[in-house]
Amino acid sequence: MKILSKLVLLTVLAGFAWLMVPGAMPVLANSVQPEKVLHSWYQMVLELVRHTPTYSPPVASRSFAYLGITAFEATASGSRELQSLAGQLNGLEPLPQREAGKAYDEAVVVHSALAAAAEELFTNTGPTGKRALAALEKKLRSEASAELPADVVARSEDYGRAVAAHILAWSRDDGGAVIENMGFPLEYPLTKGAAHWVPTSPIAMQQKPLLPTWGGNRTFAMPNGAACPLPAPPTYSEDKTSAFYKEALEVYETKKNLTAEQRAIARFWSDDPMLSPTPPGHWISIALQILERGNAEIDESVDVLARIGIAVADGFVGCWNAKYQYDLLRPVTYIRRVIDPKWETLLITPPFPEYPSGHSTQSAAAATVLAGIFGEGFAFEDATHGRDGLAKRAFPSFWAAAEEAGISRLYGGIHFRSAVDRGLEQGRCVGAFVNALRTRR
Amino acid sequence: MRIKAWFFAFSALAFAHSAVAQNTPSYIDETASSGVDSSYLGEWEYMVGGGVATFDCNADGFDDMFLAGGTAPATFYVNASKRGGALSFKAQTSGLELDKATGAYPLDVDSDGNTDLIVLRVGENIAMRGLGNCRFERANEGWGFDGGDAWSTALAATWEKGMAWPTIAIGNYINRREETSPWGSCTDNWLHRPNGNTFAPPLALKPSYCPLSMLFTDWNRSGTPSLRVSNDREYYEGGQEQMWRLAPGQTPTLYQDTEGWKYLRIWGMGIASYDLNFDGYPEYFLTSMADNKLQTLANNDPSKPSYNDVAYAKGVTAHRPYMGGDLRPSTGWHTQFEDVNNDGLVDLFVAKGNVAEMPDFAMKDPNNLLLQGPDGKFKEAGEAAGVASVATSRGAALADFNLDGLLDLVVVNRWETAQLYRNTSSSAGSWIQVKLRQPAPNVDAIGAWLEVKRGDKVMRREITVGGGHASGQSGWWHFGLGDAASIELRVIWPDGSRGDWQKVDGNGFYILERGKPGAVTWSPE
Repeated sequence: MKILSKLVLLTVLAGFAWLMVPGAMPVLANSVQPEKVLHSWYQMVLELVRHTPTYSPPVASRSFAYLGITAFEATASGSRELQSLAGQLNGLEPLPQREAGKAYDEAVVVHSALAAAAEELFTNTGPTGKRALAALEKKLRSEASAELPADVVARSEDYGRAVAAHILAWSRDDGGAVIENMGFPLEYPLTKGAAHWVPTSPIAMQQKPLLPTWGGNRTFAMPNGAACPLPAPPTYSEDKTSAFYKEALEVYETKKNLTAEQRAIARFWSDDPMLSPTPPGHWISIALQILERGNAEIDESVDVLARIGIAVADGFVGCWNAKYQYDLLRPVTYIRRVIDPKWETLLITPPFPEYPSGHSTQSAAAATVLAGIFGEGFAFEDATHGRDGLAKRAFPSFWAAAEEAGISRLYGGIHFRSAVDRGLEQGRCVGAFVNALRTRR
Repeated sequence: MRIKAWFFAFSALAFAHSAVAQNTPSYIDETASSGVDSSYLGEWEYMVGGGVATFDCNADGFDDMFLAGGTAPATFYVNASKRGGALSFKAQTSGLELDKATGAYPLDVDSDGNTDLIVLRVGENIAMRGLGNCRFERANEGWGFDGGDAWSTALAATWEKGMAWPTIAIGNYINRREETSPWGSCTDNWLHRPNGNTFAPPLALKPSYCPLSMLFTDWNRSGTPSLRVSNDREYYEGGQEQMWRLAPGQTPTLYQDTEGWKYLRIWGMGIASYDLNFDGYPEYFLTSMADNKLQTLANNDPSKPSYNDVAYAKGVTAHRPYMGGDLRPSTGWHTQFEDVNNDGLVDLFVAKGNVAEMPDFAMKDPNNLLLQGPDGKFKEAGEAAGVASVATSRGAALADFNLDGLLDLVVVNRWETAQLYRNTSSSAGSWIQVKLRQPAPNVDAIGAWLEVKRGDKVMRREITVGGGHASGQSGWWHFGLGDAASIELRVIWPDGSRGDWQKVDGNGFYILERGKPGAVTWSPE
């Protein structure tokens, strides 16, 4: 009875809704809300990021951007509120348009768009991922289209796929589409000199640094990877009075005197690839939790997810641009060389140069964007790692979370202070470019 | 100091093994003529598993063979090889023709002198009681063995002190009925402890993290084995590699980081163990995707279960194909330390094969045969030795199928027939092969240590049931001897009592029976 009432109400509302949509396009509604479809796909994508070996954090950030933009553009063309990002994002041409006067179902549009995008972006996932993708596609398609006329379903699916095809075609020449050897080059000359990165892991494939050309990839909202430059880190020195030594000593002493709270913070933001949704996925997860808590509708949901995706993706391009400009060694290398040859980090040292901290940059970019949407003082709880047994953490603001993410890398022994502080500054810069996008009419 | 010890240890061996150091063995693929024609079939629910069990079930000294078939019935082959001759097997109805089998491990559960077999399955696991002359019957009901209904992928067994029957640990994978969210759905592992001459209801080993290999091993030589569990990080949430402490009659407890256990998360798929550095403690090789791990006890300190990864230093990362031009990372499964060229240094076999069609990983992924050199480092010899199959391999066994002292090889492949290789090396060193016997219970002396003294070095191997990938063995325990004509041999029995050192000649089979003096020479009829 309750469901029937809802259907009647939705049908009545749908009868009026089309009058409010640009281009006078009728919009049907069914019992499945598009935001539910959106969230289901994002939960799947967070799993696939964790379980697809190609998905290092930069690669994940790129996919979050394209998925967000796909959902946004698929929805925007049927919305009176949203403004397409075509012409605002680098290289994005105007999207396919809906047929005037024809009815579409937004849940089916979003579903078919994300299904097509996920299929290509996660083409490298394993048999379990492919099985799960197929099962979700089948389930959501069945649910979303169950009460709709066949022509509406077909038209909506065609449109969703057309949007996805447009976005995917745009994605293929950005420099990040093809990942070989999990992102580790087969040949890469290490920079000579004591200040520069050397491998820190006994893992054979990590004797070369991850994705050394990522900083040259096409960006989304900011002009290019060098648009948010950083000052140089402290000059390398083994002199005990030098700024460099002091920063290393801070990492060393912090690890030695690590509190339970600092350890918990380091673990919470560790976000290791293949064992978590990665740092960009962590911020996507935060956004999803906030959207679900607020029962956000589809327009707000795709707006937030698109901008967060763009922010973390541009954050990683900018960060990688700086990383390979400065090519700084990791704390574990320096500390073992100069302070304590048996020193061990709490977290696994990532296999690429140190400065700046990627988590710091992309967290600050995400926080800047979320603060722009929800406000500077927006308090929230983060239960991203609940299924992994880590307790949720509460934050008074997005920036507080970003700062904690940044300092967690020092607690974990994988970054110096400058990489954290300058990374946060770089993220603010990246986020400002994203906040300058116009997503509303 | 420890580095020096390694250096001198290997320097001494370099001299001792100079004559046959790192001789590359020669293998001939005799699959077509061997009579073996069994493939491991099935789709998603059979992406792991694919084991083989080798054991002698007709008391002729030759290892017979059970091959898991996945969705197809398993096949039992009786060994019809002649000593030193071509490998020859005949399919024979045995009662083991079970479908949905992922692997199997042989052991004499009821100590009646007939090898039994625990068959791991997608669905109910089945204990098969050996009746002699290679006939088997279902024993779940008679033994109180609850086969459950899971996706079973690992097994290890031990005899806890004072017990008449073994304790069997079984590793279970994900909930196979989960479609859209299989991740994080690892189902409980089980510990089947004895209850007199049957099994008690299984105890859930929580938390369980989707293991693909388990091994009871006395890692610190305490006399009580612990249970190492290698878990597939693809599916667990909050998991890691595990080691359970099992005190008789006590609830198992996990070793913690506060005790020295290090937080390690890999795509754990197989375990091999051997005392590589002659310090009395086993090293552990863990197969995974991309880099594999070789763990050695940190600081030689048996009070802490802390291990250092020396895979890179020892040349056994085996992280990508070494031939064929496919540079994508490898996927490792079964693994086993054995001396394939009889130079006195164990070598390492790793079965390789893509999970299915994972584009990030090599599709043509040759199996590894890594030969240990006098410096303790390993070098790839799979192609030169003739075992570099690029089929999608899973389980395997190195065993002397034709009793010529040279270890042959069987490899199970997904969707393709298993491959059988005969070791035809002409320049290998001498060898011995040993069986242990003791009065019931535990007639095969699982948990014993065999020691072989040559010069100032003692080679040791732990007698175990478990490890590898869904593949178990019983039968002869093999040692390569290099150019030694004779050696000294002794056994440390599972209860810790030590047999006498006894001198035996190379190139012979010996049976050591507890309570009886001397090693009894055995030869094929």
